[in-house]
Amino acid sequence: MALSVPKAPGVSQMLKDGARMYSGLEEAVYRNISACKEFAQTLRSAYGPNGMNKMIINHIEKQFVTSDAGTIMRELDVEHPAAKLIVMASQMQDAEVGDGTNFVVVFAGALLEAAEELLRLGITTAEIADGYEKALNKALEILPHLVCHKVEDYRDVSKVKEVLRTAIMSKQYGQEDFLNDLVSKACVSILPDEGTFNVDNIRICKILGSGLAKSEVVRGMVFKRFVEGDITFAEKAKVVIFSCPVDIIQTETKGTVLIKSADELLNFSSGEESLLEAQIKAIADTGVKVVVAGGKVGDMALHYLNKYNLMAVRLNSKFDLRRLSRAVNATVLPRITTPSQEELGYCDKVCIEELGDTTIVAFRNEGKDSRIATIVIRGATDNFMDDIERALDDAVNNFKCLTRDGRYLPGAGATEIELATQLAAYADTLPGLDQYAVRKFANALEVFPKALAENTGTNATEIVNQLYLAHNGEKGKNIGYDIEAETAATVDAVEAKIFDLYQAKFWGLKYAVGAAATILKVDQIIMAKRAGGPKPRQAAGSDDES
Amino acid sequence: MASISLLNPKAEFARAAQALAINISAAKGLQDVMRTNLGPKGTVKMLVSGAGDIKITKDGNVLLHDMQIQHPTASMIARASTAQDDSTGDGTTTTVLLIGELLKQADIYLSEGLHPRIMTEGFEKARDKALEVLEKVKLPVEINKKNLMEIANTSLRTKVHPQLADLLTEVCVDAVLCIANEKQQPVDLHMVELMEMQHKTDTDTQLVRGLVMDHGARHPDMPKRLENAYILTANVSLEYEKAEVNSGFFYKTATEREAFVRAERDFIDQRVKKVIELKRAVCDGTDKSFVLINQKGIDPISLDALAKEGILALRRAKRRNMERLALACGGTAMNSFDDLQEEHLGYAGTVYEHVLGENKFTFVEDCKNPLSVTILIKGPNKHTITQIKDAIRDGLRAINNTIADKALVPGAGAFEVRAYNELAQFKDTIKGKARLAVQAFADALLIIPKTLAINSGYDAQDTIVKLTVEDRLSPELIGIDLATGEPMKPTDLGVYDNYIVKKQILNSCSIIASNLLLVDEVMRAGMTSLKG
Repeated sequence: MALSVPKAPGVSQMLKDGARMYSGLEEAVYRNISACKEFAQTLRSAYGPNGMNKMIINHIEKQFVTSDAGTIMRELDVEHPAAKLIVMASQMQDAEVGDGTNFVVVFAGALLEAAEELLRLGITTAEIADGYEKALNKALEILPHLVCHKVEDYRDVSKVKEVLRTAIMSKQYGQEDFLNDLVSKACVSILPDEGTFNVDNIRICKILGSGLAKSEVVRGMVFKRFVEGDITFAEKAKVVIFSCPVDIIQTETKGTVLIKSADELLNFSSGEESLLEAQIKAIADTGVKVVVAGGKVGDMALHYLNKYNLMAVRLNSKFDLRRLSRAVNATVLPRITTPSQEELGYCDKVCIEELGDTTIVAFRNEGKDSRIATIVIRGATDNFMDDIERALDDAVNNFKCLTRDGRYLPGAGATEIELATQLAAYADTLPGLDQYAVRKFANALEVFPKALAENTGTNATEIVNQLYLAHNGEKGKNIGYDIEAETAATVDAVEAKIFDLYQAKFWGLKYAVGAAATILKVDQIIMAKRAGGPKPRQAAGSDDES
Repeated sequence: MASISLLNPKAEFARAAQALAINISAAKGLQDVMRTNLGPKGTVKMLVSGAGDIKITKDGNVLLHDMQIQHPTASMIARASTAQDDSTGDGTTTTVLLIGELLKQADIYLSEGLHPRIMTEGFEKARDKALEVLEKVKLPVEINKKNLMEIANTSLRTKVHPQLADLLTEVCVDAVLCIANEKQQPVDLHMVELMEMQHKTDTDTQLVRGLVMDHGARHPDMPKRLENAYILTANVSLEYEKAEVNSGFFYKTATEREAFVRAERDFIDQRVKKVIELKRAVCDGTDKSFVLINQKGIDPISLDALAKEGILALRRAKRRNMERLALACGGTAMNSFDDLQEEHLGYAGTVYEHVLGENKFTFVEDCKNPLSVTILIKGPNKHTITQIKDAIRDGLRAINNTIADKALVPGAGAFEVRAYNELAQFKDTIKGKARLAVQAFADALLIIPKTLAINSGYDAQDTIVKLTVEDRLSPELIGIDLATGEPMKPTDLGVYDNYIVKKQILNSCSIIASNLLLVDEVMRAGMTSLKG
């Protein structure tokens, strides 16, 4: 728009139409805090094993029923800039650790809530932010001393089970033992002898029908597809994988068949057929029983595949092709050639299975070679299975962290209260104004046992009180809140085997404080008018195409 | 009024005193917004764009750009500030503050009836004097790491929090020293690549003596890590391309077609073969490995052939990276594979791939004598990364300016205080009303130490009195210590500003301020529309 001669003085009139500007404590800081507080409040009731589910209907009218903070935040489409900062912090936690997303939100919310009280007392935002950062440094210093459990051998299923249980419990309380069994077995079974564990190697396949108890782990891969040809079963099969269509090869440049007589026409098609037959025969002669194609399987090719008793499977995603190649240990071939023995993969059993009314193609590999395991989830509704998937996802991510850092902290709010006790003591040693902020930081940590207790329906204040009492004692540093008790009661987290990942807490604290400090430091918000038109589409995945 | 009838009835206009009032109020308004950002203790602002993206910044230039200013005067000031950024890379907030203050001071005299023309003449005289003072106080410096660290640190501390600033200082100085060599003056800052990675925290930002590219190998079987690698940089297509003219094949039998398919690919295969031959020639029997970085595409079949040979091949590298690669690793970028020799190859100690979620990064590190380096910016989220990026850019510019000027000016408001005192004396030598303008100019300069003091929570008047008195007594320059609010010598604490920045500020501010003062009519053409 062209410039126009303005009328009244002031800053806001210098901005474009519709732009808003908030500045100062009242307008910017308190507003930000109250928005974040509200947001954290929403998610707080979803924290812990007894957390409530939320029903969310997102912008494309898809329905979610979950208590997974990551999903809730993703689908809620948060617009408030300050709340968005918290969401971003939480998303980073998701990327870094894969668990503890709710921890970040709840803690950042609690910190801001505490900051508001300090601001009303007249302490400046800079001092609060400084104090929080100081407290964070101290907390991270204390944290390694609180480690109560360490998994040395992550190839031992029973050891792994012990620690994954807590993560699953917080998502699927009641089904944790069954799910734990699935995940632990799947994860341990595909651990390579050397190299790192890759989350991508645990696949999840959801099939409607039956019940959760019928879920199982398939070593190898499962696809919700049907085979192309007539052959539906192969055992001890060699597998060849092509990333191109299995058909007559075409030139890239347009080709024209030059035919002068009827004879030539006849010869042409028969020549074409024999050529294809020769090719497929050559493939069959190498001992291959299963052909996997990344593209279309031509009618003619299919005919010969059937003729030579080859099972044909078509996969549309090239990532699936790559995973399968890892699962059966084959090389993906970019064009139809006769494969050499090294390029072939091996699979114990490839077959069609019917589960409910869904047919699946299963590549099962019972041997040691399989690098991929698939967890087949059965359940009555899509929503339910989605939720189970999220729980499993968290557990798998937990396992990944476990392979990197086997240290565990006591769960059930024990770590938080212990940190709070020690930080409160630390605050007393500080001379400056930042001691108030450090003390508030300690208070903010109480939010976790409180949330656990509130969500379970017991008296939160009493619990916190009991916990402090226990932690002030000699051997109380592992005492946490007992969610299974009828009344307010405490339990030793180590004895009850409630463990939280050290990494999750470490990064969680870091990101939460980072977000809270950033929000506090902002004293002015300038918002442009919301751009009209449809929302920009989410950036698609990588432009990978080969 | 008669003149109105000459204008299109839809035209908007403001005249004489009103026009001046508009200009002055705009300058003051902008100054108000930017004031809180100045200095290491300044606060940050959050900008939300139309699409809902968040930006958190302290950088005056970024702020002015993204604020979507519509006011004509304000946008003029914003442009002056942008020009400041373009030519020196720093001092944008100072520019805005100074213009605002000059107009504010001028307003006092103008309201008493002083003519703007006299005012601007006085400003010019004062500016010349101030530049003289600047020449006098600038300290020639030797270009060494310590001095560069000090100037970079001063600049960075105004942009990010101190802990991060200290880290970035080291990174920036090392980067510039790495690419600066005797022969090539001036330093080309484009040879410092800024690569961002959304990962971990901001204090993980580091300097990579080599190159980081934001894409990876496109074949699952390619090696993920290579040591002792030859680097071949090329701009040769390794994928099938259609002929420019309309062409087609004529064949009679399927076997003929097979032959065509093979022939069609042949010339690409030949190229791949040449690379493979070279690789075999230089690497076979040694522990060396081979990396191909191609600006054009590589199709799956070629990738497959290269992967079989254990060659790490990257396709579609950015053009600017090709230039950097040649500088970082040595070697020549090839436009054809016809005459490949070993001397065309570059060398890197390690080449490895780092996967971050869906994004792949390729690191080319441990080069022998890198003349191009990468600053790898890490941060937990986008706004942190942008913030660091802007800060690094300013830091690099500050270092570069120092190398070019070979001189520094003591910071922390020291120059402004000294100039104020000098101008106060100079004022007496001027005859006539212009003397008042010189006084206004001198007063305006004090806005910098004043704002620094206010942002750190000290009393402005108190500080100014202390500083000016101290400055008169001391032959050395005196600035404000933001930790205590007391006067101190910036040279002791290593607080320096760029000479060119100050010079540019004095020049552009007085010009813009004079321009704005001389405006006596603001009008906007009426819309000409057929409907009337």
